Amino acid sequence: MGDLIFEARGAAYRYPGAAEDAVSGADVAVPQGALVGIVGPNGCGKTTLLHLLVGTRRPRAGTVWALGRPAADWRRRDLARRVAVVAQREEPVFPLRVRDAVRLGRYPHVGAFRPFSAEDDAAVDAALTRADAVHLADRWTQALSGGEWQRVRIARALAQEPDVLVLDEATANLDLRHEMETFELVAGLVRGHGLTGVLVTHHVNLVARFVDALAVLDRGRTVATGTPAEVLRRDVVERVFAWPVEIVQWHGVPQIVPLLTTERRDERDKQDERENGR
Amino acid sequence: MRVRVIAPSTRRLSRFPAVAAVAALAAIACGPERTPVVGGVAERVVSLAPAFTEILFAIGAGDRVVGRTAWCDMPPAARNVPSVGDGMAPNVEAIVARAPDLVVVYASPANTAAVERLAELGIRTLTLPMDRLAHVADAARVLGNATGVGDRAAALGARFAAALDSARAVGPPANPRRVLLLAWDGPPIVIGGGSFQHELVTLAGAENVFADLAQPSAQVTIETIAARDPDLVLLLEGEEPAWATRPEWQVVRAVRERRFGFVRGTEFARPTFRALDAVRSLRGMLDSVAR
Amino acid sequence: MRRWPVLVAVALAALLTGIIVGPADLGLGAAVRALAGSGDPTTVAIVRELRLPRVLLAFLVGGSLAVTGAVLQALVRNPLADPYLLGLSGGAGLGAVAAIALGVAGAWSVPIAAAAGALAAIFLVYRLAVVAEAVLDTRVLLLAGVVVGSFAAALVGAILALSPAEGLRSALLWLLGGFDGASWSALGIFAAYAVLPLALLARESRMLDLLSLGEEPARFLGADVEPLKRRLYLASSLLTAAAVAVSGIIGFVGLVVPHAVRVLWGARHGSLLPSAFLLGGALLAGADAVARTAFAPLSLPVGVVTAIVGVPVFALLVRRWAT
Repeated sequence: MGDLIFEARGAAYRYPGAAEDAVSGADVAVPQGALVGIVGPNGCGKTTLLHLLVGTRRPRAGTVWALGRPAADWRRRDLARRVAVVAQREEPVFPLRVRDAVRLGRYPHVGAFRPFSAEDDAAVDAALTRADAVHLADRWTQALSGGEWQRVRIARALAQEPDVLVLDEATANLDLRHEMETFELVAGLVRGHGLTGVLVTHHVNLVARFVDALAVLDRGRTVATGTPAEVLRRDVVERVFAWPVEIVQWHGVPQIVPLLTTERRDERDKQDERENGR
Repeated sequence: MRVRVIAPSTRRLSRFPAVAAVAALAAIACGPERTPVVGGVAERVVSLAPAFTEILFAIGAGDRVVGRTAWCDMPPAARNVPSVGDGMAPNVEAIVARAPDLVVVYASPANTAAVERLAELGIRTLTLPMDRLAHVADAARVLGNATGVGDRAAALGARFAAALDSARAVGPPANPRRVLLLAWDGPPIVIGGGSFQHELVTLAGAENVFADLAQPSAQVTIETIAARDPDLVLLLEGEEPAWATRPEWQVVRAVRERRFGFVRGTEFARPTFRALDAVRSLRGMLDSVAR
Repeated sequence: MRRWPVLVAVALAALLTGIIVGPADLGLGAAVRALAGSGDPTTVAIVRELRLPRVLLAFLVGGSLAVTGAVLQALVRNPLADPYLLGLSGGAGLGAVAAIALGVAGAWSVPIAAAAGALAAIFLVYRLAVVAEAVLDTRVLLLAGVVVGSFAAALVGAILALSPAEGLRSALLWLLGGFDGASWSALGIFAAYAVLPLALLARESRMLDLLSLGEEPARFLGADVEPLKRRLYLASSLLTAAAVAVSGIIGFVGLVVPHAVRVLWGARHGSLLPSAFLLGGALLAGADAVARTAFAPLSLPVGVVTAIVGVPVFALLVRRWAT
């Protein structure tokens, strides 16, 4: 692990007109070459933290650094050549062919005027291949299913040829196969090609199996950072997600099993027995 | 000539819709050329058009005029009569405030609502057209009968008609001047054959380049005007207009050579007994304009 | 369908039609000879001083309206946006009607008043739409445009109700739009004025592609969104204001033409904008030819023709879009 790609210390942000901070004390460090997950319940400030990290919002307190500079100081186009973000939702309003949509990812490199070169086309093709979207290339974006559209957007991000990939709930509409493929794709890029990855997601169990580090947010604050094994402990999870859980191990990675209400009593009894038996 | 008279008696009949309908139908069916003297001689008349006001004064019923529109300025004595505002889509309240027993209305769709309101209030109305020279004598006759000066009015009307006939009898000159009657420049609106101004110009011995248009006014293009190449542009204004210098109008020879005729005076704007004065002025202007 | 040959052919056809066809029945041969300068002086004057600048002006205005429509549709991310949605047509109409009603002197008083009214409306809508921290909120922009436009329309109604009858009909006809004021100087002024905004908008083609995705995706792909929105709004508003000043309020071109191009050839602005310019220009030049010839010698307001053509075309486009 080398320099820090992203670093946030005590970052705070409040949306204009809001009564409270969306993020009130976030500490996150993403080293170069790492795959980091940011998780937490709804409304915990994950997406806001993402905005702070990529500089689309300026923190009102604390510091946020991206690639060695205050994140909000970056010129958008310069940052877009290094960092690709796949956001949660995008509603296309105008018809576009998939190939043209993916080619938009080259704009940070070509700018407003430079014509597209063979390299640009090659990057687009490579992106389509890696995102398993080649067969969609000539279709209209209007006609795609939700999952297909998401893969096209991932392809677009890959066409940016970034050093850093940030995905914000980017697998929300994908079926199991495509979700696994996406996570494995990102993990492969990070491990094999030296990218850095940030995954903001709901899917704690799945992301825990891929990432080097997890940051857990709760109501705008970072409540735990570290490896999944360090972070996914029963007391932390139960407090943050407000539900009784059991932690089981799968190949050395903790996995959360939320308990059914009926199971809860049995578990408590078993636990009492274990404690009494000691 | 069509005259619609709505009398107060129909109001009492309205309790019996069928009877009212039959009565109304009978009135319309037997209506056209008849001038009923329902309700007797009118003593308090509100006139809702400058032409009617002028005629009422001319036939000697001016002392009975108790209300006029804001635009009624002839004869000068009319200005002493209180104004009730606009004549088109008039203010019924202001009319009623004058306590008239007869209201003379200009025939236009804009006035049908007011006529109905007045009928509901039991006030007698006369709806008359006033768009052509022929309407002047007709209106004089009807108004004369309604105000009890029928003989005077008929005599005036006959004299006027005779004067018009002798003016027409002169006939068109061998080489009439071709005139454009322009009402507006942007977009260009010309006055066509179906209008009173067209009649004046024709009586004065000129030819309206848009005589073939049946309607009183219409929008055309500058190109059409240029192609018809009038000798003179007649304007209802006092002086050379600002648009005369605009480049696109220079294609019209009469504008390029600044051949404008200016007519001011209400005798050009509406049909009245002064129409022949208008014709005389026009003749003079046409003669003085070089070919 | 090969795009550029078709568009250029359609544009040329529309221009030729506008020159040859007209209410003064000149005849094909005479019209063509008059272009070269030979023949009856009146015919030559009609063709070279009236028809030629008029058809070129209609083409330029139509092209500008179509480009502006496309840009605004991307800016507010709404395919139903139209250059006049931003209230400036109301402002222009108010300026023009006030000038006519007050009888303001001067050959160019109405266009200047219309331009002034449009600029006032642009400024007002902009001020209303800039929310916290100098951010131009495009939803507020739409609403502000509707509000300012309605307010101006109400004032126009008041002026028309209170003014003498002669001004009324003329004001209404001016509002419906037309090219009767076209001349070489009018064409020159509009062309000189329109070049800069058109060039600026064309330059932003790639940024428009990004902006069409939404402000957030555009930012992530490197667009500097706030200055971009301001530039786009300003350039398209000024261009539309000039069009309104020179030819009144002509609807449907800005709404329908970008759609047609998108349905046929897709939404990439690098080619959408020039295509829209050619198609919009052809449409308006053709509509003007129809407006002045169909009921000759009577002349229709050109906005009526664009509406009669525009509505069925729009219905067709919507159906094709939906499938």
